[in-house]
Amino acid sequence: MVGDSPKKIFKMGIWDDNPIFKQVIGICSALAVTNLMLNSLIMGLGLIFVTAFSELTISLIRRLTPKHIRMMVQVLIISVYVIMVDIFLKAYYPEMSRALGPYVGLIITNCIIMGRCEGYAQNNPPISSFLDGIASGLGYTIILLIISFVRELLGFGTVFGYQVLGSWWTNWTIMVMPPAAFFILGVIVWWARSVSEKEGEEGGATNQ
Amino acid sequence: MNKSFGYPIIFMIIITVAFTLVLAYLNHTTTEAIAYNEEVELWKTLLYVFDKDIPSDEPKDIEEMFNRYVKEEQVGDETIYYIGEGDGIEGYAFPISGTALWGTVQGYAAVSGDYSELLGIDFTSHSETPGLGGRISEQWFKEQFRGLELDAAMDGKYIIYRPAPDGNVDTIAGATQTSNSISKLLNDDIHEFISNRKGE
Repeated sequence: MVGDSPKKIFKMGIWDDNPIFKQVIGICSALAVTNLMLNSLIMGLGLIFVTAFSELTISLIRRLTPKHIRMMVQVLIISVYVIMVDIFLKAYYPEMSRALGPYVGLIITNCIIMGRCEGYAQNNPPISSFLDGIASGLGYTIILLIISFVRELLGFGTVFGYQVLGSWWTNWTIMVMPPAAFFILGVIVWWARSVSEKEGEEGGATNQ
Repeated sequence: MNKSFGYPIIFMIIITVAFTLVLAYLNHTTTEAIAYNEEVELWKTLLYVFDKDIPSDEPKDIEEMFNRYVKEEQVGDETIYYIGEGDGIEGYAFPISGTALWGTVQGYAAVSGDYSELLGIDFTSHSETPGLGGRISEQWFKEQFRGLELDAAMDGKYIIYRPAPDGNVDTIAGATQTSNSISKLLNDDIHEFISNRKGE
């Protein structure tokens, strides 16, 4: 069985089927960790790692897995990789581990992973599944970075911790608080949907 | 075969054992590093409550500085830390804890050697709402507590939020429950510590 081409997988993950603004999953963590760009980046990398390897593993054993217990198997595999990320951060990046706090453990509840495992890895060959995990994770990370860029810039006047706006800048406290992510996320979903709708009309493609 | 009764059970057992072994191995190889990180974190907290500037974030520097300044003493089942010697004790640090809105808050507070001044506080663990109560671990909040006067006449009410009369600390807007719990646990624990020490 030949899988989808990498180009198609990445186009789907990052744009056509973007987990955040198309499928609207994985929102909880998108709201929670986007106050600083560094947090978003680490969260994104963690999610890419977990999604990619979970999909790979699940795809490898998909023919052996009895259908009716596949969800249990998926949860088990996902949690193994999440714990790996947690241990890795605790041992080598304790600062990061503290900054992200419970959200690392909560990667397991990120609907993107379960969704991609169930929706893609269960029916596709390992390499494609692995790439699909990276693509979906990238789609998620990019949106997180956009949101956190706006929030960190307006909320702290910094980008990745470096001061870019001078002392004349008055920090917007609202941007540091979770509601700000709602507004920015809403604007991104609005923009992305209107762009992709136009694309659909011009290209005549029906992806709805 | 997939339809059989035993296969799913055996499959699940094999998979669980295999992955658990991987995790157990990973956990085993990183235990030391994690324990050391936690120790470094405690040293950092203690140096912070004593208001000692940490030269760098390098674990080696922190370890060296901690060993140079801070000494330990076992009182009951609690470990008390102090800096200075004999009559020249500059300050004591002791654990503080209490319940706040979502769970237990733990940390350390330091008072000066003559118990007349609060040197600083820091929190090691809490589960308050991020962005609201969670802001208790932000610098601006903790720094407010430095140098607060601890007068016996205050009768254990050392921390009073503004704008109340005699208020000395700003509360966190939108996190009233957390703020109140923090002042309560600080007042209680500081008062208890001082009266225990003086009663000795």
